Amino acid sequence: MFETLPKKFVEYDVPVDIRALLLLRKAMDKKLIRTLGDIYNVLKGIVVKDPEMMGPYTKAYYDYFLNIKIHQGDTLNDAIQRSETFKNWRDDNLDRMGDELSVEDMVNRFLDEVHMTSYDIQEVVDGRLLWDKDRGDIEDKESDGLEGDKQPRALDKMADYSDLSLQELLDRMQEVMDQQKSEHSGGSHWIGTGGISPYGHGGAAKDGLRVGGTGGGKMARKVLNDRKFFPIDMDAIINDNNVDAALASLRGIIEESAEEKLDVPSTIKNGLKRGGLFLPEIKSEEHDKLQVLLIVDNGGYSMDPYIRVVQTLFKKMKTRFAHDLETHYFHNTVYDRVFSDARRNKPIYIDKILKKDPNYRVFFVGDAAMAAYELNRTSMDSYNLMKKHFKKIAWLNPEPQRYWAHTFTTMVIKEIIPMFPLSPKGIEKAVKQMNKKKE
Amino acid sequence: MANKEFWTGSDKYLCDRDLAQSFHIARTLGMPLLIEGEPGTGKTELPIQYAADQNLELFVYPTGSKSNVEQFVARFDHVKYLRDSQIEILNSQREEKGLESKLSTGGRNPENLADYVAMGPAAKAYSKPNSVLLIDEIDKAPREFPNDLLYALSHRKFIMPESGETIEVSENDMPAIIITSNREQELPTAFKGRCIYHYIHFPGEDTMREIIAKHYPKVSNQIVDVAMDVFYHLRKIGLERAPTTRELLNWLKYVKTFSTSEAIDKIQKLEGIGALIKTQTDLERVQKQILSNPTDFQKRSTPN
Repeated sequence: MFETLPKKFVEYDVPVDIRALLLLRKAMDKKLIRTLGDIYNVLKGIVVKDPEMMGPYTKAYYDYFLNIKIHQGDTLNDAIQRSETFKNWRDDNLDRMGDELSVEDMVNRFLDEVHMTSYDIQEVVDGRLLWDKDRGDIEDKESDGLEGDKQPRALDKMADYSDLSLQELLDRMQEVMDQQKSEHSGGSHWIGTGGISPYGHGGAAKDGLRVGGTGGGKMARKVLNDRKFFPIDMDAIINDNNVDAALASLRGIIEESAEEKLDVPSTIKNGLKRGGLFLPEIKSEEHDKLQVLLIVDNGGYSMDPYIRVVQTLFKKMKTRFAHDLETHYFHNTVYDRVFSDARRNKPIYIDKILKKDPNYRVFFVGDAAMAAYELNRTSMDSYNLMKKHFKKIAWLNPEPQRYWAHTFTTMVIKEIIPMFPLSPKGIEKAVKQMNKKKE
Repeated sequence: MANKEFWTGSDKYLCDRDLAQSFHIARTLGMPLLIEGEPGTGKTELPIQYAADQNLELFVYPTGSKSNVEQFVARFDHVKYLRDSQIEILNSQREEKGLESKLSTGGRNPENLADYVAMGPAAKAYSKPNSVLLIDEIDKAPREFPNDLLYALSHRKFIMPESGETIEVSENDMPAIIITSNREQELPTAFKGRCIYHYIHFPGEDTMREIIAKHYPKVSNQIVDVAMDVFYHLRKIGLERAPTTRELLNWLKYVKTFSTSEAIDKIQKLEGIGALIKTQTDLERVQKQILSNPTDFQKRSTPN
């Protein structure tokens, strides 16, 4: 049972391991799983460990359990309407639903049934019991009398099934799943007939018990429509969406050292307090002196789209890490000076920059693309001197990496200063490279 | 037997449906429930309200930058141990000198090492079946902390320092463990693997109304309408730090002290907005976008 589940989920970049499967089994054993909606919930709790995994997880679930493939850019509604599963379900349940339902209503109903959990059913059962009690002495002669008769019986039937052993439950699920996967399943489905719920044919769903929108379907739709629930593209050039991911990659520039040292003053102090009993006090030495020099190309159209987001990134970094951050500007390439203001009116000469602490981490941000003559001897010298002085130096380029080789100046600068794409992953690599111990 | 009933909240606390289910799943499987989500969405409230509503004992471990497993589980009180063992010597010396009064060890016996084990919230919760254990804001802890917890979480057993006693709990009696995190740092994968994970979504308007009703049942609908309009508008304009449920509640707490019309007036003039907006840049932005264009905004936020 579910042997192929990990493989399918991994296709969607949702890692599912043996432990997860064992837990799922345990959950069945504990009777947590009676419907398809239960599986969605329980498996979600077990395998989803990040809101960004919710989107891929939901997609994988629909693919694996319902054979509904949700493509990039699809809405859940479209994907459902297109699927065989939905069509079969609709054909089977048409008489039950009547003609007046719009397609949208039907999709909603479908979703309700897919995501109906045993909690929902429990609620109905509880509600029904209360309801019956309440109107126990009221003669029920209204037109809905027949229905009122029928429904409790269906619910009784559900209760009967809830004692199925785990093995029986598994067998039943396997059976339904096999049917689901075959193309002409001829009526017996995961859903609609009480779903995979062991309540069997005539279960809650069949009688059209609606629990006022089970919420699960709504949530699935929300998850699929919101970029927040999908992983951030770490290779995309940084933008408003992944700037936080980029920030997380920048975090690596704080060298974390867990060096522990004997804290002599506090050992003595506390030892005296204890009346001469000296217990060694350990303190962990933290080095988080962080100095960053950001040198941004803010000239020309090519850089315009990136400047703002780069500034947001480093501004966030400054507030987050509260350290020494200086930003300078240049146009196309650095000659003998950079500028301390964005309008490039206040020059700072390279000589002066070279007098700074060599522990500064230097980030150039620019496309490094210019006419070949612009990258002259002065400019090259500046880069070489900077590289020599500051060991931790990197160039972040917003141009897609595949174009670099087509630009002569990019290639020249890349030879001097290690160049990385201006994406969260690129930044991470740049930071790693900086952190490498150099002889 | 631990409480494995499905719990959907109390009259003071609106437990979101999905959260209630995850919580039930976690308790049934005897696993900790890890809750993440925006600040101010009631993560910490869940165990507190659950324990209060079900009359269960609650143990809290607030995590901080200096948290370690010793504090969480148990530590051996060396100083007390040293003191008590000295007292015996002292007392015998006093006896020799014919002094009557004796120093007391407070019922502790240095022979019995278990007397000197100071139990932390985890050990206490584990020795008390059917209790509730909250590990709050675990993302504030040093990186090793969650990794150090792995053993305890998967083996349901602690070994007390020095005394060697073990505290063990059966799967059935596992306390309900709730761990909250604001995602300030990523938790180790292996740690997350041992928890049932739940991400709290920011409540929609309907849910928010119910939450407000639970807290301030007496506030008039008009005030709530206007305040919610302002609130969700503020969340939409992309502030650095979007206001949260907790802050909306605080704001309402302030304005509800006035009469309805006064309160609405105050809300529209964004009085006491400091309860919602917490950074200077955001405040400037709000002033620029809303206060400079009040007619447009008031039109939107005045109930019809």
